[in-house]
Amino acid sequence: MSSRVCRTCGGSDIDVDQARGSAVCTSCGSVLEDNIIVSEVQFVEGSGGVSSAVGQFVSADGPVKAPLLGSGFHTSVGKESRAQTLQGGKRQIQQLGSQLQLNQHCLDTAFNFFKMVVSKHLTRGRKTEHVIAACLYLVCRTEGTPHMLLDLSDLLQVNVYILGKTFLLLARELCINAPAIDPCLYIPRFAHMLEFGVKTHEVSMTALRLVQRMKRDWMHTGRRPSGLCGAALLVAARMHKFRRTVKDVISVVKVCQTTLRKRLTEFEDTPTSQLTIDEFMKVDLEQECDPPSFIAAQHKAKMQQLEQELARKLDDVEGEISCYKDEIETELEKSRPKLRGIYAAYAKEIDPEEAEVLSSTSDPEEQEVEDDELQAATQHLTQDFLCQVIQEEEGRGKKTDDNEVEAGPDMEGAGSQRQAAPLAAILGKLPSAASLGLQQTLDESETGEKPDDEQSEGGELDLDGIDDQEIDKYILNEKEVQVKTELWMKQNADYLKEQKEKEERIKKEKEQGTYKEKPKKSKKKKEQIQASTAGEAIERMLEKKKISSKINYDVLRDLNRGGTGSGGGSSPSRASSDPPNTNTTARKRLNRRRRKKANDTNRDLAANASIMGKRVRLLISSTSKRKKTAVQGGCWTLLTMPATPALSIMSSSLSSVLLSATVTSESSFMPTTEPARLISLSSLEVSFLDMLPPPPAHHSVEEDAGNHRLIKHPEQFAADVERPQSPKEVQPALCLFRTGGWCVLTSAVYYPATARGICMIAQPPPQLPLAELVAVLVWTSQTQ
Amino acid sequence: MDSSNDEALDIIITNVVATFRTRCHLNLRTIALEGTNVIYKPEVGKVLMKLRKPKITASIWSSGKIICTGATSEDDAKLGARRLARVLQKLGFKVRFSAFKVVNVLAVCSMPFAIHLIDFTKNNRPIASYEPELHPAATYRIKHLKATIQVFSTGSITVTGPNVQNVATAVEQVYPLLFEVQKPLKKKEKS
Repeated sequence: MSSRVCRTCGGSDIDVDQARGSAVCTSCGSVLEDNIIVSEVQFVEGSGGVSSAVGQFVSADGPVKAPLLGSGFHTSVGKESRAQTLQGGKRQIQQLGSQLQLNQHCLDTAFNFFKMVVSKHLTRGRKTEHVIAACLYLVCRTEGTPHMLLDLSDLLQVNVYILGKTFLLLARELCINAPAIDPCLYIPRFAHMLEFGVKTHEVSMTALRLVQRMKRDWMHTGRRPSGLCGAALLVAARMHKFRRTVKDVISVVKVCQTTLRKRLTEFEDTPTSQLTIDEFMKVDLEQECDPPSFIAAQHKAKMQQLEQELARKLDDVEGEISCYKDEIETELEKSRPKLRGIYAAYAKEIDPEEAEVLSSTSDPEEQEVEDDELQAATQHLTQDFLCQVIQEEEGRGKKTDDNEVEAGPDMEGAGSQRQAAPLAAILGKLPSAASLGLQQTLDESETGEKPDDEQSEGGELDLDGIDDQEIDKYILNEKEVQVKTELWMKQNADYLKEQKEKEERIKKEKEQGTYKEKPKKSKKKKEQIQASTAGEAIERMLEKKKISSKINYDVLRDLNRGGTGSGGGSSPSRASSDPPNTNTTARKRLNRRRRKKANDTNRDLAANASIMGKRVRLLISSTSKRKKTAVQGGCWTLLTMPATPALSIMSSSLSSVLLSATVTSESSFMPTTEPARLISLSSLEVSFLDMLPPPPAHHSVEEDAGNHRLIKHPEQFAADVERPQSPKEVQPALCLFRTGGWCVLTSAVYYPATARGICMIAQPPPQLPLAELVAVLVWTSQTQ
Repeated sequence: MDSSNDEALDIIITNVVATFRTRCHLNLRTIALEGTNVIYKPEVGKVLMKLRKPKITASIWSSGKIICTGATSEDDAKLGARRLARVLQKLGFKVRFSAFKVVNVLAVCSMPFAIHLIDFTKNNRPIASYEPELHPAATYRIKHLKATIQVFSTGSITVTGPNVQNVATAVEQVYPLLFEVQKPLKKKEKS
């Protein structure tokens, strides 16, 4: 109780009596509070003398069951769905958890995780099953129970990795640090499953020691703990003289044979394996091993090194061999016969000429000059040769031959020398070309980005560095294309058939007119319900959505079918509103607009006849913003609804009402209204009118103010349907506005959530000369 | 580059994934029938074309979007992409090379020491996560670099990131963390 100060005397000593529910100041005796709300448990005596506590049990799942008073319709719908999700989740958790033999505390924790997940919207796009399994596994990890993810996946028949993915994501999002799995956790469980009988405990102990040893030997990082456990248990069983085969262990531990064998071999490689059983139980080696995969990698590295060395040695050997080769070749060349005697002389003679030729031919570009000089040289030589031949005609037959022979190799030698020069030049060119090429690529890389930037925007393809010939290799020529086409057609005959059939089907449907395009991703567009009557509209809306179980749909439907009860129910409420309305001033009258022209007005109007009677309707203009156009003194808030079906009469009555009101001085008529545009009032509007909310005062009087549920009483129903979230918001608005020469009668009826399909809102005009309104109405009455 | 080490760590880029658009509709059947080294998957709606130099596999969709994988460097990826566009140009499509972007880079690196994964995970929660039942490596995600590092107990790590620079930075960042939890090596005689 708040210690307050007494108002009269200022004393702070206040006595609060729970029994009487009063707070009294002890100094002056003034009563500060009366009828305090007490929060004590009260008991009531039931039949048979049984006393029971007064009160209700509220579910811990949230304030779902209790109907909410005073909050919006939307939120209550939302909470329902959330509550359903949570309920469903809880059920599934209980189910799965009991299969795993988890205790209630774990299940509660799992449910809390699930609630967190739902509130963070992480269930979107994931199967609830997966999410729940992940929550349960999270609990298992935090509590340290010996449950594996594999168990969960077994139960659900889901891939382990999918569950694992979900689990990791949840753990990350919820910032829950699950401690790492210790293989020691699983040992007792597996040992139990292997049925060691009395000795289970001992075997488990031994296996535990083994696992710890394995851990220190780095066998457990990066491995499934179950594999290690399996190996340890197998060894422990054998140590205690139990005959458990590899198969038994595998079926319990859920790894495959190869894995188990590998673990055993790895363990074998550790120094611990060399100990005897007794030694192992007593002694613990201090030395630690490297992890087996690390060892394997090192082994690989070693092998690679060896290979490299070998290769190097081979290279060396080869190098030596090639050295020898070269030497041999040079020797061979040296041993070839050389030109002697006259030939040498000739060689010398030719030398200066050749030198000239050579020097002239050093320029590779002057190939033509070279040729000429070559010819000149040859002529010269031959002339010399011939001279010599002539000179030595008599006795030197040999020499001519020799000369010829000599000239030949000389020529060749000259030629080869000449060729060598251009070759050298060419070779000389190559490295420079290469350097040029490099430069090109360098430039490319430097400026590559800039032109690419420009080009990427333009989309042009930068062809630097792309060899077209190479690219051409990627494209088949025609013959190959034909062959490939045949092959492909044969291979994919089935697929092509399917495609053809599909096309034919679509064609047929198109002809028939029943072709429906496959909705690729149909965006949910709320279709506006088009109906000619209110009843139809309501029915269509109902078909579309079953909004809430609390609406009495029958009453909703009956509303328009001459439901006198509903009409009667609403009528007295309406009647009361009428007198106050008549006194209000400056209310604009707005007319309605419909989408469709009314076709069957008669029926409904007749139905409404009884409802309408001679009731006076009030049409209120909606917001204050658009108010107060030149309507002054207009008390023409009442509109008599006609009982007869003819719209013209209705409109005429409207017009009469209008005319009866005081109108502003303006009397310009609307010149250009076209008939097609003017939509006549119909029964829809009539019934809308029916549903119009009376002025706010009306609702505050009613007790269902604040209750949006359609409790199954027509009057309340009617009140609720009309009623928006707060009475002041919804106002029907009939407004008349002009759009480019047309005078359109529009109606704006904003409906609350229940009757969504029927709502439409129109923009009221900024300035509405009343005279125009009058004119239009007069016109309509005349035309209709 | 590496602060507390004498030798330099070799970061070897093994895969670069890049995408680009040709801004024109491609007829997959034509490509499939007239190109060498192509695999056509009509059910999925794409063509796989493999280039030899640089070694690249490209997935081509009829909308003109192309994904190139298998390159060993960013420049290689770009060159391969351009080559591919050239091939398509020669086949007769009005190809324009636009919106080239390197999407993913995968690199491997090997530490000269073994790593104690459980300690590593403990020190770096919640950035690091290790689930031996699912995967033998611990995953370390660096949010601001958008890089993921997978750490194996042998000391080798694989890094994936949006570009080469990020990958290098990621390795630099994670190196000291790994150095802390390294396993002291004991040379064994028998391997």
